[in-house]
Amino acid sequence: MPAGPFPAMLPLLLALAEPAANAAPEGPIEGLKHTFEHFGVEPKFVLFQTISFLILFAVVYKFGVKPTIATMEERNKKIESGLKNAEETQVRLTAAAQESAQLIKNAQLEASKVVEEARKVAKEFADKQNAEATARAADTLAKAQQAIELEHKKMLNEARSEIARLVVKTTEQVLAKKLTEADRAAYNDAASKELSAI
Amino acid sequence: MRGDKKTKLLAKQLFKLSLVNGQVSPEQVAGVLGYVEKAAPRHSLQLLKLYQHAIVTELAKSHALVEHAGPVSDATLQLIAAAMTKRYARPVTATGKPNPKLLAGLRVRIGSDIYESTVSGQLATLSNAV
Repeated sequence: MPAGPFPAMLPLLLALAEPAANAAPEGPIEGLKHTFEHFGVEPKFVLFQTISFLILFAVVYKFGVKPTIATMEERNKKIESGLKNAEETQVRLTAAAQESAQLIKNAQLEASKVVEEARKVAKEFADKQNAEATARAADTLAKAQQAIELEHKKMLNEARSEIARLVVKTTEQVLAKKLTEADRAAYNDAASKELSAI
Repeated sequence: MRGDKKTKLLAKQLFKLSLVNGQVSPEQVAGVLGYVEKAAPRHSLQLLKLYQHAIVTELAKSHALVEHAGPVSDATLQLIAAAMTKRYARPVTATGKPNPKLLAGLRVRIGSDIYESTVSGQLATLSNAV
């Protein structure tokens, strides 16, 4: 037999059972009634206790359990709604992330195109500027060469004119001294014939 | 402006009246001057200047000024006068004028026309050609 509370309660149970063994035999209801009376259990008290318990239960259920359950259900609904919203938000966030990634990719492509176009335009502009500068330089060089040639020709012409003037002047001086009257008369006759033949 | 045109036209008409057989006639010129003095047309001073210019130009066309360097005989002058008379189809007289700057040769002026065969002219032509 295992040791427990039963051996300690055994004398108490024997004391309770002794008067019953001495009394006349009675039914189970009577026995139960005597047991209740022996322990001080009164039916009216039990009834009051039951009514009080029911009233307390109703009050507690009305003002404690029911609002708590409603609050918990509401919270559960909120939590479910929150989870649902979180999932939707996660989906939307994922979609937004994908969309933003696509937008960024498109923007990068567009930016690359713009940069490439800008480089192309800049290169064309630089080439054009270089070509124009080269053309201007060539034009300036050609004009300078032409100016030099003109100046050279002008100088040559001036020198030639000056030499011719000096030659003519010298010739005139020589002829003025060397021509005799006979030479002039002969020249005059020839000139008169020439003028008469016009 | 219109007055100038009329004056020029009148001077031209008076000049034509002054010619007889293509030559300036002193009698006709005297008659024209008498008309101008008597009629006193508008712008008479300008008219007389234009008329004088036309007469002087016409007279210059009848006279050949022969510039020369060195001796020129009368026969040479006569030869030139005959050639100019034939060329201009009018009587042309020739007079000589010495010009040593020509060096040698002749320069003939008739009106505004110049005919030249001189050493200085040839030297100038040579100088210009160079």
